[in-house]
Amino acid sequence: MSKTQVSRFKSSVDQERRHFYSEEIQPEVFLLLGNPVQLTPDEAAAMDEYQTEDETAFVVEEVSKIIKESVEAAIGGNAYQHSRVNQWTTSVVEQCLSQLSKLGKPFKYIVTCIIMQKNGAGLQTASACFWDNTTDGSCAVRWENKSMYCIVNVFGLSI
Amino acid sequence: MEEYHNGSEGSFNSEEADGIVKECIESVVGADDYSQSQVNKWTASIVERCLTQLVKQGKPYKYIVTCAVMQKTGAGLHTANSCYWDTAMDGSCTVRWENRTMYCVVSVFAVAIA
Repeated sequence: MSKTQVSRFKSSVDQERRHFYSEEIQPEVFLLLGNPVQLTPDEAAAMDEYQTEDETAFVVEEVSKIIKESVEAAIGGNAYQHSRVNQWTTSVVEQCLSQLSKLGKPFKYIVTCIIMQKNGAGLQTASACFWDNTTDGSCAVRWENKSMYCIVNVFGLSI
Repeated sequence: MEEYHNGSEGSFNSEEADGIVKECIESVVGADDYSQSQVNKWTASIVERCLTQLVKQGKPYKYIVTCAVMQKTGAGLHTANSCYWDTAMDGSCTVRWENRTMYCVVSVFAVAIA
């Protein structure tokens, strides 16, 4: 890919990397990181086309709601059971993914789910993403009950 | 751009990514025991390093790298991933690593840029 093509695709926020720690995510952080640079008037005019359309943006609240519903539906009232965990993680990701694709937005999605028994063990997760900051986004949801933790991450990459 | 539409160059090479990730994990936590004060730093530097190495390859991909480090105390941990993408061009690779005191699971997702 030649340099000119890369800059056309990536717009002004070239190849910016973001990393965040799943344990410490606050919704405000996404808003902060979403507006990092000054655009030239030409770029701003081009971006307006995309930013005013909710149909083509990654909406964190909407995705967060979908995730919470999927987790509740799949493991809501249950206690950690080694024999069923496999089935639960699969059904959480599948439900999330099907609800997300129903949104009909021009995105590719990656959904990951971690379920951990509450045993006093420490768990730390982190992700780093190399994408287009203006159009792509992610959302992480932490859920817990008395016997387990569930962490779901959704990454949306615009086509 | 035509050169990237060639089938063999176009798909994600997961063995290569696997090798890169293993190297990064070894270099960051290879010799250490689980330590709550350091784990934050470790996860950040593993994802950072993997991402840098992957981007250096210069391929037309967007990358997502996730890393989970868990202390060995007998707790059960289950992870699952599901992806809605172009199966011909996109790919992923997951590496599980452990030592005496901890587990480390790193996943790399590569999504082709059109």
